[in-house]
Amino acid sequence: MTSVTSPRGDRARATVSVAVPPERAFRPFTEEIKLWWRRGPRFRNVHGDQGIICVEPRVSGRVFESVGEGANEIVCEVGKSKLWQPSERLISEWHASNFAPDERTEVELTFVRSRSGTQVTVEHRGWSAIRPDHPVRHGQEDAAFMRNGTMVGRSDDLDAIAGAARRR
Amino acid sequence: MEKTFAALGDPTRLAVINLLRDRPHRAGELASALHMSAPALSRHLRVLRKSGLIADDEPDSDARVRLYRLQPAAFASMRDWLTEVEAFWGGQLEAFKLHAESAPPESGA
Repeated sequence: MTSVTSPRGDRARATVSVAVPPERAFRPFTEEIKLWWRRGPRFRNVHGDQGIICVEPRVSGRVFESVGEGANEIVCEVGKSKLWQPSERLISEWHASNFAPDERTEVELTFVRSRSGTQVTVEHRGWSAIRPDHPVRHGQEDAAFMRNGTMVGRSDDLDAIAGAARRR
Repeated sequence: MEKTFAALGDPTRLAVINLLRDRPHRAGELASALHMSAPALSRHLRVLRKSGLIADDEPDSDARVRLYRLQPAAFASMRDWLTEVEAFWGGQLEAFKLHAESAPPESGA
């Protein structure tokens, strides 16, 4: 059987060079994600400053967006970290709000020291596990991933988050 | 084209895609080439058909003689999909770069 390897397969990759060393890239990336993650309805459920995006700093830590406090907190979880190597590598599940329960993709972040600082690379893989007729893969007009495939979506949970933010 | 071939996670379906790269095949030819029974293979062909990656030219004919071929448009759409995901993360990384490089040296250390 011929091997059907490909340079990309079902992996999406993006990379950026940052002028700080890995240890000063990894911590802001994870601990300050609520500050730099792009704002607006394509990227967050809750606009403005009321909702937060959080990466819990440990293996099995959650990646989530939340709004409210205590009993009123509403959380939209994207996944849990499967690998946590500070300043080097992070792997997290990525289960968008409109995926079926068993549909999971995976995001790997690598921080590699370079002469000018750090090369930060994201690999988002596992799209072949998403059912072929899923709206996230088929029939999208434009930017379906940004509308539906991220923390942003239109499930009841997400409407609840937006509602909770408005009530605050 | 090649970039999208690994889009399907199942080895049997990848093998089907690979055979169809050479030329259209009848279902029976695919089954014997892969040493599978026709019913076992037909499940995989159904998944591939539903995904739009392959199509059968003679849907009214007997299942074993249907001629299957690749559908290039579906592969292009997978490529477009990955390109869109890459654009999303590229934008997030640019936003992160601005943040990381504007922070004072003490921050995050």
